[in-house]
Amino acid sequence: MITTLLAPFQFRFMVDAMIVGIAVGAVCSVLSCYLVLKGWSLMGDAISHAVLPGIVIAYAIGLPLAVGAFASGLFCAVATGYIKANSRVKEDTVMGVVFTGLFAFGLVIFTKVKSDLHLDHILFGNILGLAPGDLRDTLIVAGLTLGVILVLRRDLLLYCFDSGHARTLGLSTAFLHYLLLSLLAVTIVVSLKAVGIILVIAMLVTPGCIAYLLTDRFSSMLLIAAASAMGSSFFGVYLSFFINASTGACIVLLQAAVFLTALVFAPKHGLWAARRQGRLVSAGTPAEGRGAA
Amino acid sequence: MIETLLTPLQYDYMLKAIFVSGVIGGVCAFLSCFITLKGWSLMGDALSHSVVPGVAVAFYAGWPFAAGAFVTGLLAAVGMGFVKANTRLREDAVIGVVFTAFFALGLLLISLYPSQVDLRSIVFGNILGISNADIVQVLIISGGTLVVLGFKWRDLLLFCFDPNQARALGLNTTVLHFTLLTLLSATAVAALQTVGACLVVAMLVTPGATAYLLTDRFGKMIGIATSMGVGTSIVGAYASYFFDGSTGGCIVTLQSALFVAALVFAPKHGLIGQRARRRAAASGVGATEVAT
Amino acid sequence: MNPVSTEMSVRVTDVTVSYPNGNVALRAASFALEGGTICALVGVNGSGKSTLFKAIMGLLKPAAGTVTIAGRPVKAALKANLVAYVPQSEEVDWSFPVSVWDVVLMGRYGYMNFMRTPRAEDRRIAEESLARVGMLEFRERQIGELSGGQRKRVFLARALAQCGRVILLDEPFTGVDVNTETAIIALLRELRATGHIILVSTHNLGSVPEFCDHVVLINRTVLAAGPIAEVFTEENLQRTFGGVLRHFRFDESTVQNHDGRAVTLLTDDERPLVFGKGGHVEYSKRAEHTEILKKRTESEGDD
Repeated sequence: MITTLLAPFQFRFMVDAMIVGIAVGAVCSVLSCYLVLKGWSLMGDAISHAVLPGIVIAYAIGLPLAVGAFASGLFCAVATGYIKANSRVKEDTVMGVVFTGLFAFGLVIFTKVKSDLHLDHILFGNILGLAPGDLRDTLIVAGLTLGVILVLRRDLLLYCFDSGHARTLGLSTAFLHYLLLSLLAVTIVVSLKAVGIILVIAMLVTPGCIAYLLTDRFSSMLLIAAASAMGSSFFGVYLSFFINASTGACIVLLQAAVFLTALVFAPKHGLWAARRQGRLVSAGTPAEGRGAA
Repeated sequence: MIETLLTPLQYDYMLKAIFVSGVIGGVCAFLSCFITLKGWSLMGDALSHSVVPGVAVAFYAGWPFAAGAFVTGLLAAVGMGFVKANTRLREDAVIGVVFTAFFALGLLLISLYPSQVDLRSIVFGNILGISNADIVQVLIISGGTLVVLGFKWRDLLLFCFDPNQARALGLNTTVLHFTLLTLLSATAVAALQTVGACLVVAMLVTPGATAYLLTDRFGKMIGIATSMGVGTSIVGAYASYFFDGSTGGCIVTLQSALFVAALVFAPKHGLIGQRARRRAAASGVGATEVAT
Repeated sequence: MNPVSTEMSVRVTDVTVSYPNGNVALRAASFALEGGTICALVGVNGSGKSTLFKAIMGLLKPAAGTVTIAGRPVKAALKANLVAYVPQSEEVDWSFPVSVWDVVLMGRYGYMNFMRTPRAEDRRIAEESLARVGMLEFRERQIGELSGGQRKRVFLARALAQCGRVILLDEPFTGVDVNTETAIIALLRELRATGHIILVSTHNLGSVPEFCDHVVLINRTVLAAGPIAEVFTEENLQRTFGGVLRHFRFDESTVQNHDGRAVTLLTDDERPLVFGKGGHVEYSKRAEHTEILKKRTESEGDD
């Protein structure tokens, strides 16, 4: 029994996958807290799709793939911002137009560039087939990104909360804006190997949502998000070994399960608590401690 | 030269693909006018990803794939609505959480029973290999959507513009809401065949956004969007013969190119036109002063 | 808290702001304020009030003209922490996971190091500021758990903690209880006494003469600016508000028993409800209410 349970740890590729999964989970979850509060959840969706042409072009001209991915991801974000500021089209529409345009362009040139790139690996990740240097690269980049976020966490929080105030304090909001976008692009590039383009969005949204349901303090939000994401990554990889299923899907579904639990049982903002409070109010006992919305 | 250009048209499957793409492109573009005005662009993206588990289940159960896709698409939409109404999370975050969970579920199902569903044809579409049964499904969906839009477009327009007024007139806004969601799910399923899950949102957003830059009248907007949708889909499907079958990529790249052209050159709302007006305003000649 | 050290001033010279779509929000706006002033910024919605605020806060770059604060350009003034602002309640995301204490500490960021770790000095000033607005006991509350007035006090404390010399308040009295309003006004007067410049945007005309000494009237440009006594006149207000202002003249009513002069009532947001001496509701358009008036005079005659 115990030998079966420990079996995954005897394979080098499983252990590597767990380490990478946890590292990616940590950096994505910390960033997700900011994205959820800033209202940028779907920016992750857009940027993650938009990296495709960058990867293909980088491959064609012999640059590191991550550099191309980062450049085209950032291009998507900047183009979205520019078009939104200079036309009357709504932001969500602009985002949809820009990222699908880039993704489609990536697909078209992909068919023209003869490559040994696997589209499936870019889309769905290939965490169980990491190349020897991947583990080291991922850990270094994830560590650096996490470091930058944590060092500047208060500035970023202020920017998300009240950018006008950040400006009056003499902080450069343009710098913080592009910093957050760049961090997002780097994080997506780092996570591609583990979960792929499509599921990285989940890693960038769900942990922040879970934590936001559970707490009213930003510091505990960071901790809860990180814990839930790292836990899901670890058990997702572990579980996929036994049921022989897509690892990325397992990680994301575990996160979704945690989200559902939080949604129902969160002490203050959960459905259950809301119902109980509703009953108290209708019974004539005012719910205490809540100001007007 | 001309012979090369005509080659695609000699193949039966190419003609079929061009025809079906044109139909789907037109219907999606028609709907895109409502979607962009309502601000549901990313809902389209979310629904197109959410249909994946439905497709997988339909394959195992032997149902028509559109039925399964449609059910999970609607389920995801209802789920998003429920979570949004009952928590303090922002709408975009809720969309992100729900659709990725659905997509992951689909991926899990497919990875558990690999041989039966071709994931690539879901994600990228496979219009060149579309079966006759699938064509019938697509035509039924398109026909139904067009009929509903044809009869109810005024109600839906009012719903997008001012839902409260719609309610005040005695229209049932809940029904309108779900009508639009249903149409969105249905066309997303149809478009899945042509361009795949990742690019459906482009078919459902780009034509509407392009037309919105070019005109201020809703009637014209529908006309421009629809003709653009049909045109780009036909040309894109044709061109994909030369691009190794990446039909979705070709269609959407074309649409994006038209959007960029409209963005720059649109007579009133384009970048060039705006710059000229701004310069005029700054120099005090013919300034249009509108409340900020 | 801060002794009067430097002479403060805000100078807005020929500022024009236009938006990307070519709309000019503000044209050639000019005015100047010296230290020790509470100035009201008055205008209808869309008159460019918030645009002017944003220009002073450096959020918008004027297409033409300059803003200087204490003789410095806006950017340098912001770096020196000279400007603090209190946002409108609608602009704040009240479910954001920060506590009262977090928000007030944010006011000190400009003084903290790169990592924004608060020093003892920062904590002391934040605590003082909270105490000054009477919110010290709420420091651990999440901001959404406060009442409208308390929320406003917290953001005022943030501005105090910043030790800015120019304080901008955007519609400070909307959704605020009377006690808070009185407390805020008292606090603003203290700040004026220590040489601050306080700029309050408001559409609440009635409260302007009560606590402001200067006023800037704005409608796409600065129409008039200066001391209340000179500028806050019926004629200027008519110009500022154009047809938007509700204008009531009570020529013959119980407000002022038929002495030939009229009482004029100006308001830009709501219709005033006026009761006459006898406790009757007054009507500004008498034509439709002659019946009522007739009855009223009859009953008054009975007294």
